[in-house]
Amino acid sequence: MLVLDSMEVSLPDANVPLLSKISAWYPAAHFGAILGPSGCGKSTLLKVIAGILPHTDGSILWRGRNLDETDLPSGELGYVPQFSCTQPLLTVRENLIYTARLRRSTSASEIETIVDQVVEETGLTELQDRRAGVLSGGQLRRLGLAMELTTQPSLLLADEVTSGLDPKSEEEITLLLSSLAKEKGRLVLLVTHSLRFLDFYDSVTILSAGRLAYSADPRDLTSYFNVRTPEDIYPALAKRDAGTWAEEWVQVPHPPEITPSTVLGEIESEMSRAEKEGSFELPSFLSQSATWFFRRLKLFMRDPTQVFLQLSLLLVFPAVVTLFAYRGLPSVRNMTMSADSGVLDQLRETLAFTLQSSRIGTLVSGLAMFQVILLALMGSNNSAREVIGDRPILEKEKLAGLRPGSTLLGMSLFLLLLVFLQSTWMTLFVRAVCQFPGNILAQFLPFFILTAAITALCLAISSWTSSSEQASLGSLYLVGFQLPLSGAILALPDSLGTLTRPFISAYWAWSGYLQTLRDTRFYDLVRAISETPLASYSMALWILLIHLGLGLVFAYFGIRRTQWR
Amino acid sequence: MARRAHPTTPSKTLFFVVLAFLTLAGIGAYYFQKDANPYRTAEKLIPSDYYENANSLRGNVYQIEGTILNSLAWNPEKGRLFSIRVTTGDSKNWPLPILIPSSLRQINIQKNQSYRAKVRINDSGILLVEEVQKS
Repeated sequence: MLVLDSMEVSLPDANVPLLSKISAWYPAAHFGAILGPSGCGKSTLLKVIAGILPHTDGSILWRGRNLDETDLPSGELGYVPQFSCTQPLLTVRENLIYTARLRRSTSASEIETIVDQVVEETGLTELQDRRAGVLSGGQLRRLGLAMELTTQPSLLLADEVTSGLDPKSEEEITLLLSSLAKEKGRLVLLVTHSLRFLDFYDSVTILSAGRLAYSADPRDLTSYFNVRTPEDIYPALAKRDAGTWAEEWVQVPHPPEITPSTVLGEIESEMSRAEKEGSFELPSFLSQSATWFFRRLKLFMRDPTQVFLQLSLLLVFPAVVTLFAYRGLPSVRNMTMSADSGVLDQLRETLAFTLQSSRIGTLVSGLAMFQVILLALMGSNNSAREVIGDRPILEKEKLAGLRPGSTLLGMSLFLLLLVFLQSTWMTLFVRAVCQFPGNILAQFLPFFILTAAITALCLAISSWTSSSEQASLGSLYLVGFQLPLSGAILALPDSLGTLTRPFISAYWAWSGYLQTLRDTRFYDLVRAISETPLASYSMALWILLIHLGLGLVFAYFGIRRTQWR
Repeated sequence: MARRAHPTTPSKTLFFVVLAFLTLAGIGAYYFQKDANPYRTAEKLIPSDYYENANSLRGNVYQIEGTILNSLAWNPEKGRLFSIRVTTGDSKNWPLPILIPSSLRQINIQKNQSYRAKVRINDSGILLVEEVQKS
């Protein structure tokens, strides 16, 4: 049984609460509708029950437990939001399998059995091999419901899942919800503004401007509001103040909570809970990470645009770098070591060497920085939308028990694959074409850590922003500032350089790469033309690792925080 | 206890994590900065003292940093003698003689290259390189 006791929800700066003194109860094996005109607080009420929004006063009791003290076990709650939380590139069956794998610790064959049951229950058998992206609105709502049913929840909350559907689909979904409420003592609450199909509900709760106007049998609705048809209820609500309706409702004598049917429902619900307690277990941290990783990998492979874009960047960027030295790096002509030549000859030689230093030093430094900036761009492209793009699914799965750390690990593994390919190919290709000397592994490391660090930092940006546009813009700024603030092209004033360099990943990767040329004349020429000091190799790697670590920490907390629409 | 779906971002934890990373960065920077100059334990040579009386500094070990000017002499047994320009804090340039012994013959030394070296002042008052690396 779900009991709402004088529940109140207020925003910190608002005078009027969003929900005020909501008291209602819903037994097990029950299908309840939460009705009311737009903006009356229906969805807010459902979110508060689900635990997505906090209530500021009162309490919520589920099976006698105060949810403020002991939250609903993840497998006991199913929440179907207004928006679609499916992956359009996956088939109906794949969507269900990955959802089940993230939520249940059980064998692959058992997952298949669960999915078979759910598919049949929700009437998706014929559609299970179809991609979610081509489903109709009604079919998508069914899929959304089916995903929640993979854990067989005792409390199923559906937010406007019938809105915007054609009358036939609306009826089908309502019927489906009604049948789900008859199973295993399940309580189903549906938020809707539709007054059709009132006969399907066991109870209706009507809200008006955040106040409770009615919560009882739908058959008494018209007589209570003194209207001819249910359609007249909303106009009747608007005629009086919400507070007056609420006060009147409190005065009405309520039916007893304990009846033979509610007792039976509670027994059934309790039996179902006891049955689940023995078998239901959340997957391990690593199992959730692996599921997230394989799901992400499949999504990537299914998206030709993504694959094409990544391949293009992978192949084109290093090729662009080599355009500047496709015949290899020029040879360096050293100056005569003896002081025997005349002053004029010495001056001439010094001038030639200075010109050469400027040309070759600029080329080598530029090629190093060009690689760094293009890798940073690839890094930002890797992850700028990684979290924000999946936010609705992420939030729903977190509600169902997905750990933020598992998500981060799953994402990181996938991104690590991209980062490894990008930095390896850049190092190998540019080195092979331009004939860069130096240790290959030593040259790969700063590039690899730089790409990983920028990817992690953009992942953090993605997890802290509220839209894809913001995330892309933030990531673009991050990369955009790397070149001017690195001091590689134009030296910054000393004090400004000292202040900014610690935060500029590109500077450390550039320094680290150039240090690998230390035993060559190219290094001397770069030193001769660059006023920006070069950091030591080990220091460069260390600071890049710090950037990577900070990016991951911020990404973790960004993924952990709640960001429902 | 907050419900699972709306955890608060622990600003204190976040602050301490960032602080821990900054401390790590600082420790690493300090450690690797030291690593960047392997001859830091040797005293820096003061060119004016050397010019004044090189003989009085005989046997001492110093670190110097400068740019190669010219090759002065070469002997297959003794090594290569170069002039190196050391710039002091007051922007004064001091040409000094350094002898790269034949044991370090693998190092390709060129004009205008910058080097950091650990040197011992030998009996002739010349700076004899014991260890050297590009700066």
